[in-house]
Amino acid sequence: MKHLTAALLLFATPLVAIAQEKKSLRWGTDPTGGAPYIFKPPGSGDDTPYIGFEVELAEYLARKLGRQSVPVDGLWKSLPELLDKPRDGDKGIDIVLNGYEDRKDLKEKYAATIPYYVYRLTLIARRDNAEVADWSSLRGKATKGIGVLGESAAAEYAKRLYGETAVDESDDVANVVGRVNDRLMTATVQDSPAAVHFIKTNPDLHAVGEGRQPGFYTIYLRKGDDALREELNAAIRDGLKDGSIQRIYRKYGLWNADQDGLAFRHNGDWPTPVDQDEIAIQPGDGGIGKLFPQLLRAAGMTVLLAVASFPLAMIAGLALAVVRVYGPRWLAVLSAVYVEVVRGTPLLLQLYVIFYMLPKIDPMLALEPLQAGILGLALNYAAYEAENYRAGLLAIPKGQMEAALALGMTPFTAIRVVIVPQAVRLVIPPVTNDFIALFKDTSVCSVILITELTRKYNELYNFNRDLVVQLAFITAGLYLLMSYPMALLAKWLEKKAKPT
Amino acid sequence: MITVSNLHKNHGATRILNGVNATFGKGQVVGIVGPSGSGKSTLLRCINGLERFHAGEVTVGGVTLAGGPNPPPSETLLRLRRIVGMVFQQFNLFPHMTALANVTSGAVHALGKTRAEAEPAARTLLERVGLADKADRRPSELSGGQQQRVAIARALAVNPAAILFDEPTSALDPRMSAEVMKVIDDLADDEQFQTTMVIVTHDTAALKRVADSVVVLEAGIVRHAGPVDAAPPGLID
Repeated sequence: MKHLTAALLLFATPLVAIAQEKKSLRWGTDPTGGAPYIFKPPGSGDDTPYIGFEVELAEYLARKLGRQSVPVDGLWKSLPELLDKPRDGDKGIDIVLNGYEDRKDLKEKYAATIPYYVYRLTLIARRDNAEVADWSSLRGKATKGIGVLGESAAAEYAKRLYGETAVDESDDVANVVGRVNDRLMTATVQDSPAAVHFIKTNPDLHAVGEGRQPGFYTIYLRKGDDALREELNAAIRDGLKDGSIQRIYRKYGLWNADQDGLAFRHNGDWPTPVDQDEIAIQPGDGGIGKLFPQLLRAAGMTVLLAVASFPLAMIAGLALAVVRVYGPRWLAVLSAVYVEVVRGTPLLLQLYVIFYMLPKIDPMLALEPLQAGILGLALNYAAYEAENYRAGLLAIPKGQMEAALALGMTPFTAIRVVIVPQAVRLVIPPVTNDFIALFKDTSVCSVILITELTRKYNELYNFNRDLVVQLAFITAGLYLLMSYPMALLAKWLEKKAKPT
Repeated sequence: MITVSNLHKNHGATRILNGVNATFGKGQVVGIVGPSGSGKSTLLRCINGLERFHAGEVTVGGVTLAGGPNPPPSETLLRLRRIVGMVFQQFNLFPHMTALANVTSGAVHALGKTRAEAEPAARTLLERVGLADKADRRPSELSGGQQQRVAIARALAVNPAAILFDEPTSALDPRMSAEVMKVIDDLADDEQFQTTMVIVTHDTAALKRVADSVVVLEAGIVRHAGPVDAAPPGLID
């Protein structure tokens, strides 16, 4: 027995030793942000490791700290919140390392390292678009919009420079660049690392004018994690000095004079202000009074989306249901297939197809974001309404149809004047229920560059983290304010339409 | 007016109608009686094409429906149904319309008249069935007997050459039954009213009063057809 234990210990010891000596450096990142930060080469499999300049930077830092680099994926805009959670656990992280700007509001809540990269905002347009010659030439001429990553410094800057209406925000930067390439969008503002990558991969695009609004990428960590912070700072300084970081950045075409400056600066005091642009970004400067009107305007977009799409969904749904119940067999089958396909796939995906894929099939099919949003919601909810109306049609007693036919009505007339009016009244409760659900589903439209209530909330929250509770309550309140009158209207309609 | 010849109708392996022949003349009031399951209602529903049949023919006012595997042409059905009206056991009024709108529905939605054209006649008919004051009521606000009287007015409003009554009183209590039978009585007694009426009913007492002749069905076969008085004893009690 004693021998056995000894043997086990003998086996176990090296394992424990390895585990101890290879402590991990868990870094929060969002791989959907893509190249050149963190990505996989096109066509690679599930087990292919991530590459990217931040991946290699993290590996370098971990090596210097004697740790093992472990990327932990999360939603980009809520990566800092992962620091509020325990360090161990599934989504536990030590640091946030994902193109996060050096921001005052974040530094109030979290500790930050010295910057590891200097980015500039870069304006990208098509080479053959002579209209866009530099930053200022775009003022008032961005007829098809300027795309930006939602809630980023680029978004803030573009909005201040060109006005809110000219700027379209998206979570999917690659799609925005694709739209510029397809001439569906005038230009896009990107951080320089992303810009370098996109220009390299899209030969028709180029950078317009100078890089603006330089800023730092920095690593965030928990307050009080001073030892880790000092280790990281030393590793960044050393790496910039001895060229290991330069080697990584050069590999991705990201080393430039700004980084030389960074290396120089880190050997003296930091941070030194870089040149000031004409517009300064001061996140978090608005009180709740300044934010409320913005939320209210965004709520208007939510109402517009819902009110414009739902009647279309009702009409299409009713047509689908009538065809399914009374139509010829082949049409009934088509209707059933439509319902199952639309019901069985996510709305998000459908909006993507309508907005991003259709123009690739035929440029004539390019829709404005609002048109695409209304169409997508209408087509999606038509499937659900079809099922509601089908239930209503099937609930009407057979004798109703027989009585109508016996009076000499054609089947079509009988359906129109006898069956449908009764069926529609019967399903008012589930239909209004869906209308209320639609109000909330409009938030999905943010993926196709529509700024509605939820998107606005996310944006404001990102730059006003101290007001997060108030913002959340106001947003929830606005949704309630929109849906509760619908509930009342539904009740009233139900009472009024009751046939018996 | 109505000729039924050699009508066969099966339901799966069960034979519902087994070679039925019958003729109903213009302006006649004919009763169809027989035990439950003898095929009375089915025969009636075959006459206006609500039910398909396997063999035989139905001819109403020159329009012929032929039995067989294929559904009759919708054009034929439409012409036939504009000649034949029907009153149902469960009334089948349209619950979302007022009594008046129910009565005008055939004229407006089948014959293409305007509401204004159809309403005076409809009001006259409502008066005839004793419900002039209920014109604006919904079916749910009317008693069963009143609903059935509205249904009769609705069937009359398109001026059919024949009306089929499918057990018009069997869902009603005796008092309401009497109300409805009185309306049918009055129509039968009206010399001006030349519409053929075919009535399926269990109410043999009422039938003896209104019907000119009777068809007795048993297990899908006609056991007797002719004047009510001439029926063999025991067939109609």
